[in-house]
Amino acid sequence: MNIDIDINFSDNLEASVDEDDEIQLTPAEAIALMEEAWINEKFAPEILPHKLELVECLLGQISYMEDNLRSLNSTDFKKIIHQLEVDRLRFLISSYLRTRLEKIETYVMPILDEENERIQQGVELYLTKQELKFAKDFAEDLQHHFDNITTTRLPREEWNQECVKPNIHSFVFLKSKEEVEGIVIDDGNDEDGDLVDLNRGSQMIISYKSVANLVKNGDVHLI
Amino acid sequence: MFCEKAYTLIKELSRSEDTLPPYNTELVTAVINETKHLRDQNEEDAHTSNNDDSNAGTSLLPTVRIRHAAVKRNVRCLLAYHYNRIRCLRTMRWEFGSILPADIKSNLSASEIEWFSRYSRTLAAYMRSIGEEGVNLAVDLRPPKAMYIEVRCLTDYGKFELNDGSVILLKKDSRHYLPRAECEELIRQGVFQHID
Repeated sequence: MNIDIDINFSDNLEASVDEDDEIQLTPAEAIALMEEAWINEKFAPEILPHKLELVECLLGQISYMEDNLRSLNSTDFKKIIHQLEVDRLRFLISSYLRTRLEKIETYVMPILDEENERIQQGVELYLTKQELKFAKDFAEDLQHHFDNITTTRLPREEWNQECVKPNIHSFVFLKSKEEVEGIVIDDGNDEDGDLVDLNRGSQMIISYKSVANLVKNGDVHLI
Repeated sequence: MFCEKAYTLIKELSRSEDTLPPYNTELVTAVINETKHLRDQNEEDAHTSNNDDSNAGTSLLPTVRIRHAAVKRNVRCLLAYHYNRIRCLRTMRWEFGSILPADIKSNLSASEIEWFSRYSRTLAAYMRSIGEEGVNLAVDLRPPKAMYIEVRCLTDYGKFELNDGSVILLKKDSRHYLPRAECEELIRQGVFQHID
């Protein structure tokens, strides 16, 4: 069920920096990482681990650039170019955060359940503290609204808990950054999946579930 | 027929895609009453079949099952109706900001208005909490292409102060060449029209 479009062309822009390590990033590298995170978030059906440090670092960068811009004369041509650059950066970050918020709103119940599980297991959380608060408040508001309709006039039914879940078997386009061997293709059927190997730089259409871990640890990125 | 009213409710909503039709209190109440009625009948029949050991008790089973399915469907439709209205309201929060136009507000139920203000508060709290000073996510909705854009003013808006402190007068049908970031909100409010 997967189509291997084996196009190997070099990509100089790829910055495979592990964010867990404290590595000094140049602004250009940070922006490249942010773009990758944004695109991954846009195409992945479920919510991905947050990139709070990256976002905060870039927000700091934006306010620094804006301070510099203020000292420039408003008729200066350079100012317009720089301002546009700042605006682009700001769009990138807002769009990334908006995409996450949309996912949180749509899949609020499953996301909260998974997050609670992660808290209990003590593993790394996917939502930032602020996002978690937003998700909880949103869920509460929604429940409150539904209660207003149902419980005042109808006893609460058990089956009103059927909620929207992300389709983690949906297909995604990806490009590999590393050599990965033996990915089990899991397209939601119970049959034994075939194995597939990824070459560095190869592109593929595959069901998201099979590569979810690779997307999260950054071995592949979605396109 | 069971569930016909609930179906009408859903149809009504799906017909009007972008606009929010008035909250149909009458039909919602009717669906709730129907559901209640079905439940009461079911409880009664369940009681009878429990007390009755003869064949008459089990013969009620199919009836009970059908009613149960109808109840389930009604509840599902009710939730779908309310949930999709909420989704629509949510989109409006992003478009119009925290204050709703009066004509939309008149179409909402009391509970929906309450939900809207709660959602606004939650969202605003979230936006304030990002970074050091907070980020307004409701601007920069489209990728910026150019720094300045040309807009036409559609209404007599009056004076408008730009970020650099200069004040311009916005009159109907006047054209302006302004920074995109500052126009965006007025475009969404329908004061400006973007001219390509």
